[in-house]
Amino acid sequence: MIELRSTLAGRITLTVLATLILLVLALPIVVIVVTSFGKDAFGSFPPDSWTLGWYRQLFAEGSKWPAALSLSALVAAMTTVFSLILGMTAATALVRSELPLRSAVYGLVLAPLVIPQVVVALGLFLLFEPASMLGSPIAIALGHTVLASPIAVMILMATLKGIDERLEDAAASMGASRLTIARRITFPLAAPGLVAAGIFAFITSFDEFFISQFLSSVDTVTLPVEVFNVLQYNVDPSVTAVSAILIAVAVVALALVAAARRLSGSGEQDGLLPTETAVGLPARSETAS
Amino acid sequence: MAVLAPVTESTTPAPRRKSVLSDRRTRFGLVNAAPVVVYLLILFVYPIFSTLMLSIKGEDGGFTLHWYADAFRGANLEILLTTLRISAETSLLALVTGFLLAAAISRLKPLWAGLAMLVVVVPHFISALVRTYGWIILLGDNGVVNNVLTDLHFPGAPFQLLYNEIGVVIGTTAVMLPYTVLLLYAVMKGIDRRLLAAAASMGAGRITIFRRVYLPLVAPGLVNAGVLSFILCLGYYLTPALMGGEKQTMVASLIDEQVMKQNQWNGASALGIILLLLTFAGLLLLRLLKSAGEALRKRGAAT
Repeated sequence: MIELRSTLAGRITLTVLATLILLVLALPIVVIVVTSFGKDAFGSFPPDSWTLGWYRQLFAEGSKWPAALSLSALVAAMTTVFSLILGMTAATALVRSELPLRSAVYGLVLAPLVIPQVVVALGLFLLFEPASMLGSPIAIALGHTVLASPIAVMILMATLKGIDERLEDAAASMGASRLTIARRITFPLAAPGLVAAGIFAFITSFDEFFISQFLSSVDTVTLPVEVFNVLQYNVDPSVTAVSAILIAVAVVALALVAAARRLSGSGEQDGLLPTETAVGLPARSETAS
Repeated sequence: MAVLAPVTESTTPAPRRKSVLSDRRTRFGLVNAAPVVVYLLILFVYPIFSTLMLSIKGEDGGFTLHWYADAFRGANLEILLTTLRISAETSLLALVTGFLLAAAISRLKPLWAGLAMLVVVVPHFISALVRTYGWIILLGDNGVVNNVLTDLHFPGAPFQLLYNEIGVVIGTTAVMLPYTVLLLYAVMKGIDRRLLAAAASMGAGRITIFRRVYLPLVAPGLVNAGVLSFILCLGYYLTPALMGGEKQTMVASLIDEQVMKQNQWNGASALGIILLLLTFAGLLLLRLLKSAGEALRKRGAAT
């Protein structure tokens, strides 16, 4: 390997700085998980004594968290279904067909990722308010799908590009109908991609705040909105436990995606996660296509 | 078989004579593209369009621009300028720290680089709300950061790090950081390090190599990451709302307040459209810089 000789001092400085920056990324998460087990929720860090009390309190009688949690789960599940339907059809159209105005369609699909979420939320509010659909779980899920479907489309496009089209052609040449091909060939090969797209759609919705905030009503409040309200207006130490649960959900989701890719052996080329597509960086994928 | 036929066709120059719709492959594409297009037209394009209409509608129903005039006056103008200032500070900080981290990771061995990238990527998928709460715990008067600084006898410690601009910029930078690191890392991985070695072998100093070889190669990534994080900051709500004080109110908070508390939809719409136009300006700038960079490179290759 030909490598530039770098001075020892330079190297040490860079390593120290990089470690600090990594700490900046990791510390806020670590601190929440640790604090959620501490007896004194707003006390010193690390805590002097430990407890599971905050978690027990979440499900105590009169707690508002279970309702918020189940609403968020319901909305996220609906968003996942909507996003997978839209994502699979759109990815098929963009990868497997001659589409007139292809780049316009692609641009439209990616647009929600760069348009400020306030603007999307405000527009959805103006759409659903006159229809008196504020607070309806379906309205919130329809709104979340605007943000989640582009991610699903990008992941599924990458998946379809990775499937050898000749397999489908071979089946077709032997007389398989389009439906059979989809069911017996494309679908099984695309399964890991579908799992990944579904999981990312789910956590996009589960963590989404602004659209939920605009579309919720007094008695339908999603988990992130409830967390925000607690942080801004009143003090409820069990919010730390809720935050830790949100962290756990995200980590488990990522682990599932990694496992699906590992099982199918399709994730080797780009490491652990389809990071660029999932993070939503249209700038690069635009040039790739 | 129907699938097979067009495959060969698509390699030949477009069969223009046929009506577009008669091609089965085209029809297949249109049928599949329809759901997402219809969906986004109804739930994305139309709502933004009605926001636009609302922002130019006067109380009497006629056309007016006075909502925009309001947005550029007094306290509202100050909030717009605050938004631009915090976005600039944040994207600059995210760019510098992202550059350092990506540069360090791109020199690591694959295993360590993978682990470091995990630390970058995993937080990105954890709710920004939760990460912001983590910062509130960390930066409080008795938080970890102040405690460590006090123990180190850092001059001036403890500092006021919450509910002011320092807190907002730290918190927002941490949210934007994964974007800049990923964009810059991808570019840095693609750099042929032999170019640097070649420059060194011809006697170029370290600073010259960095300035004349490395930086131009990384420049497209820097532009991308900088503009993108700036755009994402413009409409950002959570961290400034939770970690900022009165003076760190950003446009998104103002929109939220006008809609939820003052029922002032027209004004909120005008602010939303202004945000949208700023975003478009950023994207346009990105495109212009990209083509300018390409032209520059072509000229460099020709001479």
